[in-house]
Amino acid sequence: MRKNIKNTAVLVCICVVIGLLLSLTNAITAPIIEKNQNASANAALLEVMPDGSGFESVDIKNYTLPSTVTEVYKETANKGFVITLTTSGYASDMVIMCGVTADGKVTGAKCLSSNETLGKEKTYGDSFKDKDAAAVDAVDTIAGATKTTAAYKGAIKDALNAVIILGGGSVDIRSEEEILADNLNTALPQGEKKFQKLFLVEVIDGIDAVYIAENNSGYVCVVGEQFIGVDANGAVITEGAENPEAVTTAIAKIKASTLKDVNFNKYPAIADFVVSAQKTASGNFVIETKGAGYGIKGGNEYHPASNEYIIVKVAISKDGKIIDCMTVSQAETKGLGDACADEKFYGQFDGKTKDNYTEIDAISGATLTTDGYKQAIERAFEAVKVLKGGK
Amino acid sequence: MEKNNNLSVLLNGIIKENPVLVLILGTCPTLATTNTVNGAFGMGIAALCVLLCSNIFISLLRKIIPDSMRIPCYIVIIAGFVTIVKLLIQAFLPSLYATLGVYLDLITVNCIILGRAEMFANKNPVVKSALDGLGMGIGFTLSLCAMATIREVFGAASFAGIAIPFMQDYKIEFFTKAPGGLLVYGLLIALIYVITKGKAPAKTSFSCQGCPNAATCTIETCSKKGENA
Repeated sequence: MRKNIKNTAVLVCICVVIGLLLSLTNAITAPIIEKNQNASANAALLEVMPDGSGFESVDIKNYTLPSTVTEVYKETANKGFVITLTTSGYASDMVIMCGVTADGKVTGAKCLSSNETLGKEKTYGDSFKDKDAAAVDAVDTIAGATKTTAAYKGAIKDALNAVIILGGGSVDIRSEEEILADNLNTALPQGEKKFQKLFLVEVIDGIDAVYIAENNSGYVCVVGEQFIGVDANGAVITEGAENPEAVTTAIAKIKASTLKDVNFNKYPAIADFVVSAQKTASGNFVIETKGAGYGIKGGNEYHPASNEYIIVKVAISKDGKIIDCMTVSQAETKGLGDACADEKFYGQFDGKTKDNYTEIDAISGATLTTDGYKQAIERAFEAVKVLKGGK
Repeated sequence: MEKNNNLSVLLNGIIKENPVLVLILGTCPTLATTNTVNGAFGMGIAALCVLLCSNIFISLLRKIIPDSMRIPCYIVIIAGFVTIVKLLIQAFLPSLYATLGVYLDLITVNCIILGRAEMFANKNPVVKSALDGLGMGIGFTLSLCAMATIREVFGAASFAGIAIPFMQDYKIEFFTKAPGGLLVYGLLIALIYVITKGKAPAKTSFSCQGCPNAATCTIETCSKKGENA
């Protein structure tokens, strides 16, 4: 028994002495080890912020940051922030790390990982060095990689916005869609945030676009920057609306408009490419036509072609102007030609005539798609001409 | 006389009782860390420090540590010193720390250290134990460096990370791999055997004494041989 106690005591004493020695060593080395580890962890951060002296992680839950922001590191000498963002370019999950000074200039950007096809995003970040928010848009795009470029620039802007928010400022971080949705909701709250853009078939002066509430509670007219709500009875509900009479008149005209099918099959010249044709009581035509884009003409030169036409719906006024235009269906190349389904592209045709409809910006990297789209528009004018002549 | 004796204790570890090449102890770190000279040297020095400290400490405590509890006591002491060395390397030589990796922790169970504690430090005074630790450490480091030199020069055409220009086209990568390590190890053991032929102690002279089970061992031939030494 005594032997056991002695044995235990000796072992305990040795453990205590060794423990003391260990704690002493640890007290000396712990700060150095921590510094070393920080230095290696910071190596990546220093690549995008070479001036940084040290970094500490910031809890992003405490801020309302753009949704792409995944991590934030604060430079310990208040020189700025390093922000990691995850965005989607041509493919998903493009991870970008961006250093931004406290006064909103990019110190460097780097793509940490991506699934993009071209690989050019790897070095693209260098182009943003020393740029501020205003200069980001002017940075050269990556040739043939519109979506990657747009996503990259979007991420850089998000990083710049995040720094403003982190610095205590406020900034509108809503996307274009969110801003539109918010504006529509403000103009017509009873629409319950569900709106559709109306395809216009009547000539309406002074109004840029009309949205209809999905629950039929009214309309929202866009005039310049202003969103004007009109209830189901046709009364303007937005206070301070400019020229409410024009809005009321326009809505009345839209509500009164009727469409009648036109039998185009008796005109062999257009029957092949016209999908549908309608006419309003006021003499405007709404034609759906097929255009041969990359899907038909592309062959397999770059990507397998889909064998699908681009189908375009065009409203042409009695005097030969395009009132509205939209893409009904398309199966063009993903990431390139499919931009023809974007309003930014087909919106360009609004107001154009037979003589100047070709004066639009082509889709970058998708010549065949652009040509096919123009062909569909041309065929719509052709159809209107034939249908009018047939009358 | 005393001085001479001390010197021989120190020199013992370098050739005559070289821990790696004669006693064949610590083969795991030997094979694992000798593909680069830098790693081998770092490993050797780290083991030397632990060996020196643990030998001194154990020698100091040799009269206090109860015989039946000696292994746990040694392990606690050795593990403590290994951790101290590890923390120091991590703090001041981070690149070496990254090179050695898990083998640094494994110094704790390096048979050389426990073996010297068992065979030498618990029977000898402090100065002698320190010299034994130093000698064994130097022997360990030198053998590792010799082996690493052969492996790195022929396998990677470089020495301590510095490329040897005219050998770049003649790398024998086999040497950097484990089988190459075993081959070089075997060749070095053979070489030392040839050099020390007739002078090196017969293995039996330390094999049983060094055995942790020696005290309780009942195999007659074994214990007899141990006594004869």
